[in-house]
Amino acid sequence: MNTQTMLELARGPIFYGALLFFIAGMLYRLVTVISLGWNKDLAKPRGDKATGVVKSFLRGGIIFPFFPREKAAYARNPIVYIAGGLFHLSLFIVVILGAAHMLVWKSLIGFGWPTLPLPIVDWMAAVGIIAMVALIVNRMVHPVMKLLTGVAEVLNWLFVFLPMITGYMMTHHMFLPYENLFVLHMMSINVLLVWIPLSRISHFMFYFFSRTIHGVEWGKRNAMP
Amino acid sequence: MSIEPTMNLFVKKTGGWVASQLEACTRCGMCAEACPYYLATGKAEYAPIWKVEPLRRAYEQRFTLIGKLKVALGVEKALTDADLKAWSKVDFEACSVCGKCSGACPMGIEISSLIATVRAGITAAGLAPAGLVEKTEMQMKCGSPNGMCEDEYIKWFDSLEEKTGVKAPLDVKGADMLVVYTSLEIKDKRHNLYDLAKILNAAGIKWTISMDARDAFNMGSIIGNPKVQKELAGKILNTAKKLGVKQILVTECGHGFTTLRDAVPNVFGEELPFFVTHIAELLPNLIKEGKIKVKEGYFKNGHTYTFHDSCKIQRQGGIMDEPRYALKLLAGDTFKEMDSIRENGLCCGGGGGIRSIPEANENRLAAFKLKLAEVEKVGADVVVSTCDNCQLQLKDGFKHYNKAVEVKGLIEMVAEAMI
Ligand code: SF4
Ligand code: SF4
Repeated sequence: MNTQTMLELARGPIFYGALLFFIAGMLYRLVTVISLGWNKDLAKPRGDKATGVVKSFLRGGIIFPFFPREKAAYARNPIVYIAGGLFHLSLFIVVILGAAHMLVWKSLIGFGWPTLPLPIVDWMAAVGIIAMVALIVNRMVHPVMKLLTGVAEVLNWLFVFLPMITGYMMTHHMFLPYENLFVLHMMSINVLLVWIPLSRISHFMFYFFSRTIHGVEWGKRNAMP
Repeated sequence: MSIEPTMNLFVKKTGGWVASQLEACTRCGMCAEACPYYLATGKAEYAPIWKVEPLRRAYEQRFTLIGKLKVALGVEKALTDADLKAWSKVDFEACSVCGKCSGACPMGIEISSLIATVRAGITAAGLAPAGLVEKTEMQMKCGSPNGMCEDEYIKWFDSLEEKTGVKAPLDVKGADMLVVYTSLEIKDKRHNLYDLAKILNAAGIKWTISMDARDAFNMGSIIGNPKVQKELAGKILNTAKKLGVKQILVTECGHGFTTLRDAVPNVFGEELPFFVTHIAELLPNLIKEGKIKVKEGYFKNGHTYTFHDSCKIQRQGGIMDEPRYALKLLAGDTFKEMDSIRENGLCCGGGGGIRSIPEANENRLAAFKLKLAEVEKVGADVVVSTCDNCQLQLKDGFKHYNKAVEVKGLIEMVAEAMI
């Protein structure tokens, strides 16, 4: 099989298969968690739950990166805070606002959007890669993170890192012919798509649950989420 | 000993509320950086999310494909009795269920609620610390965990007349408010009864006390025994209903307050026909509404005051502004705030029943040191608190480290400053 055929496969049937697995897997996860049942809270709220939820998302998603509530805690493990934040930012910029990726989205969902100039996206990709390296080193040396890290956590890191590094090498024509890198990039994405529903990378979906719960709980007491 | 009761409890507790939060955790470790016991000792296994590990394992292995696969492949072992034994030391001896960790979690996971479930699972396996088991048995037997049985309460309530000239209002039907004390007060702060009577009478509140609802303390909540929790809280609930009160006032108990206000409605599956309040909320409101009068600046007397936020009353109870209002009024600018306050308040190290576990003494006093550092930084020589248990821990801690810091309760301060 030549590289061209491999690429066709990797960005064709294998990609669509992986994507389907991803969607079905995430739906399965969602349905199983929801179907475990939810109890109604009968306690009289002291504050407003809806306000709590809004504040929880504002703090969690928008204000948090700049003003975490437990500032002292973040200052004690700044690598998780800074590198974790930069990694997510890089992910958003490269995967959503990078021109090449936007075209993939467009082919999948039928519409596109303005993108950022390549140099910015490229720099952010590099930032993301450096952040990922910092995160894994931190995971290996910080006593708490060492305890919390098993095979699954290392695989999470690896399966996210591979698409990033192969994508970067591709744009810079590094080490291997472009087409070979493209195959590697696509295959690593396919692996990631299959892995996400099986792993904790799915936290991006459950984030909406945990942040909502947090907002409800704290809003109910009239405390700041 | 068998793991079955624990697994049953975990399965019963695992609804979407618990599962979605377990699924959201990225194992980032940030929660550790907020935990007083981890910070004070540097022991990685004291990380909040590690305290939830038995529940996570049970949930994944029972409910998720990947969890089952992990066990089948031998990547993860099924939960055993020995595991629970090990976690009993972590979840009970190095956690006050203070809830600070959830403010540090980027995902906003309510870690302390999950820890409470793990504690319940450990208790179901019969592996809770002996000190707590003993207190639980004592409360079931005589109504209070520290041996303050009915006759002691009768004497205490009777003494009200001698001290204030007013007879104790026992079981007054149709009273506005049922006041529920704690067995810590009858032991160490007997004047709370007299001081609070003075305040409530001055405010014109029709209040009552009852031998059937004499202790807000709930060992069931502390140790994680739902049956005990229900039985003890049920006594107060039924008394309040029988007397037809509009409010329950919990005096200086933290967990007793949140148990009655937030847990009881769900435990009994009914909305409460009365309002549950705490002195931290009521007293400042009485001042604000003009129902009692205090001398402004009464405590501006050369001391520096600070306020200790209790985990259950302030962070988890939401009563943060009210005591500050009262303190600013009473102590003026001699009232100073510490670094970690309100929602971010730092546990005194003595909550969650840890004071009844002798094996946890070292952890408890180590965690207190963090509080001490904040008190010293602000230069306070009086620490005010609205929780009895915190006050005992603070007194203990200052004594242990030879610090001349006084600890005061809000009830006594308001009563003293009244005009
Ligand atoms: S901070 Fe939150 S997401 Fe991170 S390990 Fe702790 S519980 Fe999990
Ligand atoms: S509840 Fe408090 S003591 Fe317990 S793990 Fe969380 S921060 Fe630590």
